[in-house]
Amino acid sequence: MTVDSVLYTGRRGTLHSAAIIGVGQSAYTRRPAPGQSTHTFIRDAVVAALADAGVDARDVQGMAVASFSLAPDTAVDLAWKLGLSLRWLLQDTNGGSSAMNMLGHALRGVDSGAADVILVIGGDATGLAGYGRIASNYNIATRDHLAPLGHGGPNGVYALVASRQIKAFGLEKSDYGHIAIAQRAWAAKNPFAVYRTPLTMAEYLAAPMVADPLSRFDCVPVVAGAQAIVLAHSDRAPRGRAGVRVRAHRASFNYDNQAGDGLKTGISTFAAELWQAAGVAPGDIDVASIYDDYPTMVLAQLDDLGMVADHDLARFCRRDIGEQRRPINTHGGMMSAGQPGGPAGGLNGISEAVLQLQHRAGERQVAGARLAVATGYGMTMYRYGGTAAAAVLERVE
Amino acid sequence: MREGVGIWRCKACGTTVFPQRLLCPQCHGHAFDEARVTEGVVEEVAVIRHMIGQENWQPRRIANVRTHGGQSITVGLRDESGPGTVVELTQEEGAPFGRAKGR
Repeated sequence: MTVDSVLYTGRRGTLHSAAIIGVGQSAYTRRPAPGQSTHTFIRDAVVAALADAGVDARDVQGMAVASFSLAPDTAVDLAWKLGLSLRWLLQDTNGGSSAMNMLGHALRGVDSGAADVILVIGGDATGLAGYGRIASNYNIATRDHLAPLGHGGPNGVYALVASRQIKAFGLEKSDYGHIAIAQRAWAAKNPFAVYRTPLTMAEYLAAPMVADPLSRFDCVPVVAGAQAIVLAHSDRAPRGRAGVRVRAHRASFNYDNQAGDGLKTGISTFAAELWQAAGVAPGDIDVASIYDDYPTMVLAQLDDLGMVADHDLARFCRRDIGEQRRPINTHGGMMSAGQPGGPAGGLNGISEAVLQLQHRAGERQVAGARLAVATGYGMTMYRYGGTAAAAVLERVE
Repeated sequence: MREGVGIWRCKACGTTVFPQRLLCPQCHGHAFDEARVTEGVVEEVAVIRHMIGQENWQPRRIANVRTHGGQSITVGLRDESGPGTVVELTQEEGAPFGRAKGR
């Protein structure tokens, strides 16, 4: 079967002609220098992505952006400041699944001919105090019912989810440690990662608690930075470089009205359909980029994807992660590379999947990588996240 | 401070929700009665020891509480209540708080 004979999006039988042809990022930093802002980080990522794709800015016809700190500017203001005159424009507000959500829209935008070249951008430079304000005013439910408790932002919300997961699956604290340690080992090979010093289990277990049972290395570090990717028809990919196409993409929003326990994500509503549409199985995946604001949610998403045998999360942590059998978050994940806002954090995972499939991941390259899965998860509405999305990506020779 | 926590019961199907919604998630009815739940059982507790962007933060305890009406809500704990403790619920502005019953 040739690649072009595959019907990528399943039920409607629509072939994605679009491909990801370039990726780029700004530097990541815990504390922006004077003069650096969300806008300047985004500029740096856009310049890098266009150069990587070999695309002139004048050829960009569409742009999608997600950011917690772009306001009062909106997408069109960013287009103005980037000098882009467009016929397709999107601003996404779905937090940790924004990147994956924008990817889906951009795929369809190129497929439909709405735009030949689309830039997808995520970036933030909130600063720690700014992030604190965002965390307390994330939505009305958070502002009115959680922040007055001193809930600690998402750390507090996911501390409660983690406690439920530990009870439900018989996990030990060290099980989360396997994820943090494995991702830090990958980050050591990523020059863009903010935290690259190897982490031992003793150091992980000795780290101070942030929101019991979550300790320092369980909580994603907020950084400033931006990511961008370029989508276009696959024949616009730079010569001599393998293209990356999306075999299937699915998303879910408000999957359970916050009536569950948060141990499943919206991915559980579409995983079977995703794999069927992609024409591959979880076991075929060579590399995975799983949205990692917390190890708890890495496990929940992997389980929803069907990538955890027998739903045995403890064994998965100790064997598959602890013994380095699964390449997951090979850029270090947000937990080590840093989270420049959820949108850019999700784009970083997508970009890493692209680099792996193009065999451009340097020291961290997974040999022979041909298929990847990437996810997004976010929008902590009240008790856990309400949005999720995932895509299966493939290397096209 | 008010005794109990206000929840909303769909007039059409009786489903209870917190926080308030526009339509019932079960039957999409649009009319609700407010009810107050006064007790619940602590299921999980988190101690918030650090708050990003804030210095001199004093640790606080929050909990997931299943109310006697069946709702899972997040409350601030006023004492050292742990999982399994029955707590009395109060509401300050819109925010729910709890402390062990009878203390």
